[in-house]
Amino acid sequence: MFRLRRSKQIETAPPVTTSSASSVTPARFLDPELLAHINSLELLARAVVEGFMSGLHRSPYTGFSTEFTEYRQYNQGDDLRYLDWRLLGRTDRYFIKKYRADTNTQCHLLVDTSNSMKYSSASSITKLQYAQFLAASIAYLLNRQQDSVGLVAFDKRVHTHVPARNRTGHMRTIFGHLSQLTAGEESNLSQSLHQLAEILNRRGIVVIVSDFYDHPDRLKEAFQHLRFKGHDLVAFHVLDQNELDFQFDEPVLLLEDSETQEQMPVLPDVVMNGYRERIRRHVEKMRQCAASNNVDYEMMTTKQPLDYALFSFLSRRAGKR
Amino acid sequence: MNFLAPLFFLGAAAIAAPILVHLVRRTRARRVEFPTLYFVRQVPQRTIRRRTLHNVLLLILRCLAILLIVIAFTRPFFSGGSSAKTTTGAGATVLLIDTSLSMKRDQLFPEAQRRAEAVIDDARNDEQIALLDFDKRYSVINRFGADKNRVRLGVHSLNVGWDGTDYEQALRGAESLLAELKTGGPKKIVMISDFQASGWNQTTATFKLAGDTQLTTLDVGGNDSVPNVAVTNVEARGVIYTQKYADNLAVHIANFSDVPVEHVAVDFQINDQTVEKRDINLNSRDTKVVEFTGFNLNDGSNRCSIDIAVNDFAPDNRFYFTLKRAVPAKALIVESPTRGRSDSLHLQSALTTDDDLPFGFTLKTAGAVDPANVPEYSLIILNDAGTVSPGLADTLNKFVVNGGQLIVATGPRTDVTSFNNALQTVMPATLTEAVQTKAGESVSISEVKFDHPIFEVFQQSGRLAAAHMIGYFRSQPAGNAAVLARFEDGSPALLESHSGKGRVLLFTSSLGPSWNDLSLTPLYLPFVHQMVRYAGSHEANSWYGMGQTFTVAKDKQGAIPAIDTPNGTRLSENRTTPDGDLLVTGREPGFYRLRYNSSPDFAAVDIDGLEGDFTKLDFKQFLAGVTGGAGAAENSEAARKLSNEEIEGRQRVWWSLLLLALILLLIESLLARRTKVVKMIG
Repeated sequence: MFRLRRSKQIETAPPVTTSSASSVTPARFLDPELLAHINSLELLARAVVEGFMSGLHRSPYTGFSTEFTEYRQYNQGDDLRYLDWRLLGRTDRYFIKKYRADTNTQCHLLVDTSNSMKYSSASSITKLQYAQFLAASIAYLLNRQQDSVGLVAFDKRVHTHVPARNRTGHMRTIFGHLSQLTAGEESNLSQSLHQLAEILNRRGIVVIVSDFYDHPDRLKEAFQHLRFKGHDLVAFHVLDQNELDFQFDEPVLLLEDSETQEQMPVLPDVVMNGYRERIRRHVEKMRQCAASNNVDYEMMTTKQPLDYALFSFLSRRAGKR
Repeated sequence: MNFLAPLFFLGAAAIAAPILVHLVRRTRARRVEFPTLYFVRQVPQRTIRRRTLHNVLLLILRCLAILLIVIAFTRPFFSGGSSAKTTTGAGATVLLIDTSLSMKRDQLFPEAQRRAEAVIDDARNDEQIALLDFDKRYSVINRFGADKNRVRLGVHSLNVGWDGTDYEQALRGAESLLAELKTGGPKKIVMISDFQASGWNQTTATFKLAGDTQLTTLDVGGNDSVPNVAVTNVEARGVIYTQKYADNLAVHIANFSDVPVEHVAVDFQINDQTVEKRDINLNSRDTKVVEFTGFNLNDGSNRCSIDIAVNDFAPDNRFYFTLKRAVPAKALIVESPTRGRSDSLHLQSALTTDDDLPFGFTLKTAGAVDPANVPEYSLIILNDAGTVSPGLADTLNKFVVNGGQLIVATGPRTDVTSFNNALQTVMPATLTEAVQTKAGESVSISEVKFDHPIFEVFQQSGRLAAAHMIGYFRSQPAGNAAVLARFEDGSPALLESHSGKGRVLLFTSSLGPSWNDLSLTPLYLPFVHQMVRYAGSHEANSWYGMGQTFTVAKDKQGAIPAIDTPNGTRLSENRTTPDGDLLVTGREPGFYRLRYNSSPDFAAVDIDGLEGDFTKLDFKQFLAGVTGGAGAAENSEAARKLSNEEIEGRQRVWWSLLLLALILLLIESLLARRTKVVKMIG
């Protein structure tokens, strides 16, 4: 069962053992820019999660567990361990006891490592760093709840795939791979999602952390594909604040597309309004696309604290269950 | 357009600064990696292009502002051509080119043509241009038109003449041409000349340009003092009646430079033979009169010249004139028969003492005159002739109408009634009453027209009042009569009238001692000589000025002689007087040969003596004079000679340029501020 417990430890979380920890509040500590100073992703994830919350989440699947849900007639082949002997004794009928299982769900973290993810405006972390922090935090959170966590990193193709496990030490593998991620080539997000939909056979939660620079219609198809496979989708749309604002000090810039290396002279003050309008429309379309496909969508900027991301994520998950 | 400080044009290199900044900034636009250009590309590019244009405008504004500042520092002032371009509307320009003799110096005239072409080139294409050349007169070469080539051809067709300079006439011509113009727009006169001071007389100048007419002067004469010695005038009697020239022939020689000139050889020639040579010295700005006398002349017309041996402007080093030795004409003195000594004794004595009078006199009484012989005389003097018979009166009337000269002097024997009746048609006055002063009293001649040829010799002496008049006639002047002198009571003393071709002089007192003591005074001889010479003043001038028209009389057969010009070509003039005499205008210096059948005659034509004075005109006074101080004139040449303060005052256009530059910079600043873009990209 999923339980949301908005922890009061947001304010009262024990300080992390760092030299500067005593001088900052826990909330302040969740600032991505400060978190960037923590070299260990595991430590970072723990700081975020421990400092933020602890809780469980409900498995979407029924199974054989300890909490009774219903009876059903015995069919041949059923495990006799679940036969209700008492009922058989009283009524001479064969019933199988069904239980709601607090199963360990499988969650795959899909991290976009395309070149566009390495963007950061001044005094900010890159989108990829933010994605790493977020993915690590979610992985830690899930692992803490005994869920299986897998990691998939992709740009125009899937180049890193860590299957979901719930073993001791798996987190280190996840964190290890996460910390090794670097921005690679240009992306084809929808194609990569289609590819992953084929790869991820077992149903589970798929958390996508990306800047979603693809056409919303193609992404919609990709979401539908994943949904068709039975996955529960959570989309973290990570953008740098400057990608929304398009604020530059220089009157003239030669903008270079991170992925295609195409260059374009731009007068920011001229382009700004038009750009803002278009990126706003894109985000809006993404939001609609996600809503129409029952995808939990959250637009994050790299300035936003990670606990906000987690809170948003978990509240949506709780609301859904 | 001219510039006082053209070196400041080097500052125009500063224009490179904004251009370089523009180019450098363009290439140094910071490269910034951005996640995707997908959305940027969707922003309409025309906005960027418009901004690019915007920035080009800023660049142009900056360059223009710098250029204006640079030009302002060069202190420009506009010449005629350039200012013509700056004016609004087509406008009209009259191009005045000096073709006077002084323009023959050096390369002045080619330079003038070049400057004229520059003015034409600078004119707007739709500007109306007229071309006039001028010396003492002006002539229209091209009337107003916008065809520049036509005006250029006109400029090339011009030649320098021999005449003097009169700027006032030229301006009058230009102004009258402008007055004919119907179209609007600015009116301008561009005068190209060497601007001699002698071409404009400030004291007599009355002409003023219209207020809307701008005068631009282009001086091609340079500012250096040009040394020149010239023969400026010869004073001589054109006709004498004796072999020896008894008068003084005065030759005026002037040094127009500031440097004294020594040992100028003056060569007097008659018919190409040197008669006498003189050697003179001239101080700076000095004029000397060299006199020649006592030389002999051949019968008929003699070609005379004065040459000075100086190495300067050649045309004024020779002066041409003619001296004619003629046979005196017949003249008749008519008196009344008297007993004893004739009243005409003094008159006869006075007229025969000088054999250089144009007349040879015969004395007769009125009754002895045969009317049939009257036409043989050229001059008849009725000296207190008493009663004039009707026959003689009729003959005298015809005599006057046909060109005869008549001098009438009254006296105690004059029959007023017969006189008035007989000669009424030709007489300048009707005699009314005889006045006899009281004993011991007299009147004198008081009011005299000294500008008349008869009295001009008395102008300095003023002694005409010395004669005492005790008797005279009061008279009523005719409508066509001129009163040349009056008595103290206002009665006319001497009257003149013309009748037909002839002339009549009436002296209302006596020429004998009957009514006055004039004949006993030293004034008498010159007085009667002047009257007689005036009466016989058909004699030709010894020389004519350039452009002056003289009459070539028919010969005895009534034929007009052929005329050769000084350069030997046959003259083809067809202007005649009402009497059929030919009118000839002197166009070049030298002798015009009049080919009469009997004997050749000559007419000398000379240049204006002052044309050799190259002293520069005072531009300030000239411009102020012709514009009435309105300031609608500009002198591009003189401006260079002005003081710094004056130059500063004359080329205030730099203020306007600076102001314009500041306005441009202000606009640029606002534009740049508004867009927050200072630099541009392609």
